[in-house]
Amino acid sequence: MAKEIEISNSESKFLLEALRQNYRLDGRSFSQFRDVKIAFGDEYGDVTIEMGKTKVHCRISCQITQPYEDRPFEGLFLISTENSPMAGPQFENGNNTNEDEVLIARIIEKAVRRSGALDIEGLCIVAGSKCWAVRADVHFLNCDGGFIDASCIAVMAGLLHFRKPDITVHGEQVIMHPVDEREPVPLGILHVPICVTFSFFNPMDTEENIKGDTNAEITIIDATLKEELLRDGVLTVTLNKNREVVQVSKAGGLPMDALSLMECCRKAYAITEEITDKITYVLKKDEKRRNKFADLLTSENARETS
Amino acid sequence: MSFQAETGILTQVDGSSQIQSQKTKIFCSVTGPIEPKARQELPTQLALEIIVRPSLGVPNTREKLIEDKLRAVFTPLITRYLYPRQLCQITLQILSSGESEQEFTQREVANSINATLLALIDAGIALNSMCAAISLAISSDDKLIMDPNDEQLKAAKSVHVLALELVESSTVVKNVLLLDSYGDFNEKQLFDILEQGEISLLKLGKEIRSIVESKIINSNLIIQK
Amino acid sequence: MTDVEETVEIQPISFPPEVFARISPELSLQRHLALGLRPSLRRFDEFRDIEINEDSLSRFNASHMMNEDSQNNILGSNVLKCGKTFVITSITGGIIEDTSTSLDEVDIGEKELLDIVEQEDSLNKYTSVYPVVEVERGRVGACTDEEMTVSQKLFDSLLHSRIIPKDSLKVQTGIRTTDENGVSQIIYPDEVNNVDGNDVDDSYKHVMPRKKWSYVLYAKIVVYSRTGPVFDMCWNSLMYALQSTRLPRAFIDERATDLKMTVRMKGRSTTIREAYDILCDPKKSLPLTLNDSNLAYASSFGIIDLDPEVALEEARKQEDKQEDVEMDKIDSILLADIDTEAEESSIYSTISLINNLKGDFKQLSIIGAGSRITPNMIRNAITLSKCRSQDLSQKIKK
Repeated sequence: MAKEIEISNSESKFLLEALRQNYRLDGRSFSQFRDVKIAFGDEYGDVTIEMGKTKVHCRISCQITQPYEDRPFEGLFLISTENSPMAGPQFENGNNTNEDEVLIARIIEKAVRRSGALDIEGLCIVAGSKCWAVRADVHFLNCDGGFIDASCIAVMAGLLHFRKPDITVHGEQVIMHPVDEREPVPLGILHVPICVTFSFFNPMDTEENIKGDTNAEITIIDATLKEELLRDGVLTVTLNKNREVVQVSKAGGLPMDALSLMECCRKAYAITEEITDKITYVLKKDEKRRNKFADLLTSENARETS
Repeated sequence: MSFQAETGILTQVDGSSQIQSQKTKIFCSVTGPIEPKARQELPTQLALEIIVRPSLGVPNTREKLIEDKLRAVFTPLITRYLYPRQLCQITLQILSSGESEQEFTQREVANSINATLLALIDAGIALNSMCAAISLAISSDDKLIMDPNDEQLKAAKSVHVLALELVESSTVVKNVLLLDSYGDFNEKQLFDILEQGEISLLKLGKEIRSIVESKIINSNLIIQK
Repeated sequence: MTDVEETVEIQPISFPPEVFARISPELSLQRHLALGLRPSLRRFDEFRDIEINEDSLSRFNASHMMNEDSQNNILGSNVLKCGKTFVITSITGGIIEDTSTSLDEVDIGEKELLDIVEQEDSLNKYTSVYPVVEVERGRVGACTDEEMTVSQKLFDSLLHSRIIPKDSLKVQTGIRTTDENGVSQIIYPDEVNNVDGNDVDDSYKHVMPRKKWSYVLYAKIVVYSRTGPVFDMCWNSLMYALQSTRLPRAFIDERATDLKMTVRMKGRSTTIREAYDILCDPKKSLPLTLNDSNLAYASSFGIIDLDPEVALEEARKQEDKQEDVEMDKIDSILLADIDTEAEESSIYSTISLINNLKGDFKQLSIIGAGSRITPNMIRNAITLSKCRSQDLSQKIKK
């Protein structure tokens, strides 16, 4: 049964006081993102992201289906983010109507799907009758904050890693070639959006925050679970490497200084660049690992892969 | 059958395990004993909530049937009278099924049973005895294959999951907890499965024990430090 | 206020058997078993009799065919009565476009490779039906776990039993042609061939659609007045229903075979061929071909330890001749065809079997959550289930 996590008074006071004195419980600086570990599984599109103790798994899959009638030139793309009690007892199975959970799902949806990160026109096979339906299943394994950031990285890394089976189109007939017969093809990725979440804390009272001139609110990047539970406000900025803002989401909470938004975006850009490079690096390494086998196979089998 | 397993990997739950056998990879978490919902509560015993989540798509009847099989195995295994009016939540996340999901569940069921056992031990839930599970297949030339892979399952005449209850340091089989068979097979093959399965499961039971042992030794070392 | 200084005499309360069975099902069951009977008054190895009513609901049933405007879309059906329980199975169907079968017809130069891939997957040649089991409990709401697991188990068992070959669900399309006088007729190439014996097929080839279709079958299984586990009854009813299933013939309209449409959207255009509807013939139908040797019937068993204390009590009552009943020797017994709440709730070890007439198994589940399951128990269950299968297979009129 879903249980809200309760944090003790002394613990919360300690954490806030530490923040006031410029310390975070895990020793990070305020604008330091946790180290992101990306690991790929055996299958294409199987990726596990670890950020500190937060652990997210994403699995991409695809199948041939019929496109929507009003969008005959487009394929289908769906992101599923369902929580289970595995990530923590605060999540209930099969009940994802919790406000935070809905917010996570919406932000990832906007960051990846609505920003056009995946070229859905490229998923069209026969206009109006056949297309690919790509599905990203995000599984939250362990929750220590930063689900939005981690799942966004997981989905993007998964999409970049995924290969769909090669097909041949004969008029209306579509032949899907098994992966062991023809080299599968990657998806068309137009850009790589990365989410960076800022959490705000208010060391003074609310009145000072709204009317005062001090702007003393504390801003930290990539909060852990405890920091998330105690924060007064949150902002998620989604950017890509082309210095484009994909999404800015600030749903209520502590009012923030308008000018500091620019500062946040600037900080987020540096992180975005770093993570994107990391994804590219890990992908290349994985490609090399796989290619070893591919080389062996091609020398055995003289068939040309086109 | 051999597999790699790790326990205590998740921080937000009471017990967890990760198991990998060939291409099958499963995470299991156990939370409990905790307060149940009113409709789950049993007045004299521990209630079990078992959740299986597939690697692809949303859970449906296929996962419900896997849950049902796991429930059949673990209900007699857990010392349930120790925790009256409490709940134990077992969540399994399949990261990679290692078989064709449309046709088979054998690998997932067998590995889920082993993963759940490890997670229950990690969570410190009292158990009456140990168990071990394996998937089996009988090939078209009537050979018994232990722990078949996807290709072997597809080519098989019949496919099976066997889970046995083990006692006395995994040297004695107490009962058949689950034998779930599909396909075309006869009486002789059935008893073959039980006999051969028993031999491999006794071995596997020792393997599981050694995983638990090394985990305990390691955590003792940490405490001593 | 009265004084509490009264002496209360405690007398053992006795209940009528029905009340006792409700309050303490386990003890009631044990008392029955000690007498060598079951609460249902059946013997340990006795099954309930089954009555079936085949095909009475189907569209293609002879009596319905008289009625021209029958709106019924049931392709096969069965009503099964077992004890107090009724199971009604109705099979309906749909047609889907087959995307995988085109491999054989189109030469893509990689056929050998595909053959290798195909051969390895023997199960791939068979299919199942999509069952929905509904157990009526006098209330509406989301489906219960039991309904879901029984449905899924039926699906898995049917697939792995290899009873329905995919080939038997392929649609052999006919064509509706309209001549100059506006008279329509439906031609099925395979029927024409049969009459003439030579290849008339060619004349239709140019109009035959290049697409392939398959039937999909759904089974709606409704259980009324459930008294015990329902899987056996659902499976057996499904078996009977499948044997009576007839698939409607289907055709496409000649005019529709070469339809082209141009679609324009956002400045791009494409030609969409087809969108022809496939229609079902209201009158003609073909029987569903099943893999008869794999037809199998289900039976189930429970295993329970006899409580020596209850047995002792009974023995005492009867002023038994055997003075010393061994206390530590636990007798367990095999009960066929579990029914009633008492049996269902107190028996934890079960064996469930599906076997064909030769005695080969198609499905088997052993769950040992209670009493120990010995090889002997399994052997007994197998022997009984073989007889049961024989018996059940004779119920259907062929």
